[in-house]
Amino acid sequence: MQQPLELSTDRFLAAAAGERGIAFKQLLSQLKLAVKDDQLDAAAAALRRAALPSLDYTSARSLHGVLKRVRSGTRRVSPPVRLAILSGFSSKYLTELLELFLFAAGVDVEIYEADYGVFRQEILDPDSQLHAFRPKLLYLATGWRDLANRPEIGASTQQVRELVDRELEEWSRLWQTAHDRMTCQIVQNNFDLPPWRVLGNHEMRHPSSLGRFISLVNQSFFEQASPYVTIHDVDHLAASAGRWSWGDERYFHHAKIPCAPEYLVDYAHSAASVISALLGKAKKCLVLDLDNTLWGGVIGDDGLGGIRLGQGDGEAEAFQDFQRYAKGLQSRGVILAVCSKNDERTAREPFEKHTEMILRLEDISCFVANWDDKADNLRLIAEQLNIGLDSLVFVDDNPAERAIVRRFVPEVGVPEIPADPADFVRVLESHRYFQIASLGKEDLRRTDYYRANVARLQVRQSATDIDSFLASLQMVARIAPIESATLERTTQLINKSNQFNLTTRRYSSAEVQAMAQDPGWITRTVSLADRFGDNGLISVLLARVEGDVVEIDTWLMSCRVLKRGVEDLLLNDLCAAAIGRGARTVRGEFIPTARNALAREHYQQLGFARIRDESEHTWWELRLVDDWKPRTHHIQEAALDGAGSR
Amino acid sequence: MEQVRDSVQEVFREVFDDDEIVLHDATTAGDLEGWDSLMHINLVIAIEKRFAVRFATAEISWLKEDGQNVGSLLELLTRKLHPEA
Repeated sequence: MQQPLELSTDRFLAAAAGERGIAFKQLLSQLKLAVKDDQLDAAAAALRRAALPSLDYTSARSLHGVLKRVRSGTRRVSPPVRLAILSGFSSKYLTELLELFLFAAGVDVEIYEADYGVFRQEILDPDSQLHAFRPKLLYLATGWRDLANRPEIGASTQQVRELVDRELEEWSRLWQTAHDRMTCQIVQNNFDLPPWRVLGNHEMRHPSSLGRFISLVNQSFFEQASPYVTIHDVDHLAASAGRWSWGDERYFHHAKIPCAPEYLVDYAHSAASVISALLGKAKKCLVLDLDNTLWGGVIGDDGLGGIRLGQGDGEAEAFQDFQRYAKGLQSRGVILAVCSKNDERTAREPFEKHTEMILRLEDISCFVANWDDKADNLRLIAEQLNIGLDSLVFVDDNPAERAIVRRFVPEVGVPEIPADPADFVRVLESHRYFQIASLGKEDLRRTDYYRANVARLQVRQSATDIDSFLASLQMVARIAPIESATLERTTQLINKSNQFNLTTRRYSSAEVQAMAQDPGWITRTVSLADRFGDNGLISVLLARVEGDVVEIDTWLMSCRVLKRGVEDLLLNDLCAAAIGRGARTVRGEFIPTARNALAREHYQQLGFARIRDESEHTWWELRLVDDWKPRTHHIQEAALDGAGSR
Repeated sequence: MEQVRDSVQEVFREVFDDDEIVLHDATTAGDLEGWDSLMHINLVIAIEKRFAVRFATAEISWLKEDGQNVGSLLELLTRKLHPEA
């Protein structure tokens, strides 16, 4: 039987607009009861699901109140991420909501918040509390009033250009100081244009207007901020809300709140989505239902000619636009999957034959059409794609299917899609499921990998033994220390990989860069190509040299290349480097998490001896003098481009 | 007025996360633990949302000035809800 807390959460998530208030009240009282009864895990799970960007401000604060109680009763499993918030306005109203949404995204933070308006001093003064806090992430929550070089009306185009340059230079200096001293990643707000325009229609045209100046500064931030700075696009939030609705000067005058208070919720959700994407928590795969989700009507009943899709009919065009949006996501690296209650042949028919279909079979990395339970099918999809259930978002027009999925696979994101297909995109966008932290080239190619994986699986079925299969792949690897060109992808992997990750230690790009330059560390990345395509950078190893011991701090590998011999290749390379440094022993450790069970036997399989264990947490050792000889594999090493980097 | 009082009391309980709060006309900011300027703003935000009203910039601070109490809030709110009365 379902618990009253789960039931009231489900009811709240599915409530129509007019019933949300009541549904929230019931949910809140159930949450408080659960906390009182010490059912903290259940309360935490319900909180994660109920924390939506569409909450009103007071309700979101109430959920934060519950979160505080849950927190005070739970022991932290892993150390929280240290997040410092420096602001030009009063961030206190934003911070609670930010904490709530980060929690909902699975990010546990410890927050340091400075008084508003002192962000420059906090960064520049090495004795400030900020420095003592040593943030991993620094959020600079500033607004247009913090721009120090605003032009006077009458300034020339050239003078304004110089002011924009000076503005960028001053902010860059702050970012660099923070980054150099604290090796932190930075999230920086851009500046929302005020709704009023003293130059009216010519605001964006006049050389010295405030609006044009702010736009130019925003543009220069986007184009010129350092890689360790992520620009949070607050101006887009203002524009989406409508600038006059977004701004409420009463609250700025009284309390230095940067926007109308009700928009703080969406503001915090947006900032949290950027921060959690930086920490590798963005969703990866969009799972789509078919009938009445990708087209109007039921393919099994209405047939190829009967479904509504394409030009000539309003609703049929709206379905097509939704497909176009999904295709856009796919082309930038979001994996698409299909989960439909249909006969497989019938379900595939529109993809193969309907001329108005935007999505084609090759866009879908995993196609599941059968009559089984959708919850089971989602588990199957996650398994086949080798990603976590919490990386999935499920879109289905049918409220009953959504309810089943929410109940049996609560890790999956299930937006409350409205009946009208013209609203699908808006609702999906509002959740910011697929937020991007950095513009990696790898993301744009991700679908190719998954498609190539299917081809590899087919070869594997035809090859009779594993050695001839591996040989037939004609693998070529490039193995090298971390370089500036691979820094971004390396950091991305460090923060994203969950499954084949021995220690799951997360590092900012600043920290990774520091290790790469430190002679006391051996760092390696492996890129792998085979006859089906280029897998890109797929493995990272970070090891510390301490006397005659090389201690492996981090070893991770993309699951796409599991059981291909990459670990043998990498160990050979590490041991050669270790011997070169006079080491006698290589040590490694396995820290268990909910996701990395498949790496548990890693060191044992590589011939390490277990030297210590504390429950599941194990320590391993390989003695280079006695135990080790190079391991065989089927991967050729590519010549390094550029000489002498090793 | 009584209905407004009940609803306002509910808002107070929600904002202060305290289901024991009982409001009287004479209740002032000093009587409620935690009713500082930050919480005052949170109260104003919640009341505006609940009753779909808008306080003028001057009214927002006036409500917390010395000599004002829950009674003045209810009066102001009732006037906003029923301008013709």
